[in-house]
Amino acid sequence: MGKQLFLAVLGGSAGILVSAGVFTVLLSVGLVPRFAGKTHTGKKIFLYEEMVVLGTLAGDVFSVYRGSDRLGRAIRESLLFGAQTVLIWRGVSFSLLLLTGFFAGIFVGCLAVAIAEMLDSIPILTRRIGFRHGLGFMVLAVALGKLAGSLIYFLFRFYETGM
Amino acid sequence: MQRETLYLKMERNVEILKEDVRIADLGKTWCRDGALLSRIRTQKVTELGPGEQSRKVVSVMRLIALLQEEFPDLEVESVGEAETVVELVRTEREKGAWQAAKICFVSCICFFGAAFTIIAFHNDIGIIRVFDRIYETVAGRVSDGVTVLEISYSVGLAVGIITFFNHIGGRRITKDPTPIEVEMRVYEEQVNNALAETADREGKTVDVQ
Repeated sequence: MGKQLFLAVLGGSAGILVSAGVFTVLLSVGLVPRFAGKTHTGKKIFLYEEMVVLGTLAGDVFSVYRGSDRLGRAIRESLLFGAQTVLIWRGVSFSLLLLTGFFAGIFVGCLAVAIAEMLDSIPILTRRIGFRHGLGFMVLAVALGKLAGSLIYFLFRFYETGM
Repeated sequence: MQRETLYLKMERNVEILKEDVRIADLGKTWCRDGALLSRIRTQKVTELGPGEQSRKVVSVMRLIALLQEEFPDLEVESVGEAETVVELVRTEREKGAWQAAKICFVSCICFFGAAFTIIAFHNDIGIIRVFDRIYETVAGRVSDGVTVLEISYSVGLAVGIITFFNHIGGRRITKDPTPIEVEMRVYEEQVNNALAETADREGKTVDVQ
């Protein structure tokens, strides 16, 4: 019992501090205000914050609990939607994967550029090389570079180098 | 006759619905003579139009010049900002469905982005192996994957972010603004400063020579 209690305290403290750390980083780059500002939906900040909370909890469930990766298989095998379950689930899972990839990609893309911007790398570089015009092209070039890099990483199995 | 003093407090940023920008739109004004004040308040400063013309930066110098021309005896005391970013907003442009679509879009980014971030973080630190190791060290037997450690960690994570964001289910826990609200104000301020500075450099500020 004492051991269980100790583990509970340890786990709880770890969770609280991890959330503080991870979200300080996310907030200090100011992503959500920028999304809200760009779309003129500043009144919905509460909703956005709740989505961050819910997203984190969903991500937590799927990365901490080992059994959670059997969810898709369990749904297919349990015939949840009747005889056509396999077919229906193929469509549903495709859409879910598409949504996850697309929106997580936007988020990470914004995060990567926002972190680079926090270090003022672009203003410093443009000043050093006496850059006056064509900032739009530079941004486009960075975006295309990221796209190319990401595709190369997955297509040419660069991830194997990190294993 | 005693010289009248007009106290003028310009705002940093205003949004107006009509094309004519009047002094009353740009901030707060006060002077002892009520009749004079209402004449001042309806003074037209500039006008906004579609496209590029829908946002202008107005300098307090222009207002002073304008008022001195119109009311030579008036003394103007500026107690607010030196420049105001004035923007024409078209209410009919923001349709309900379009607005809802944008809100949905941003919500999806926040949800999937946050989920992805925490999964990537857990993957990075190899949380499953760390938890297994802690469990074995403390409990003295092999973890079956769902132990008190995983559950308390998840609860802690939830408590941490809810305390951090300071609200749950649309209700505030304390009266403080939430971190994103604070960030939002900082961001707005930076945007307004950038707009004023840019207009100034390009010589587009509604100003005196």
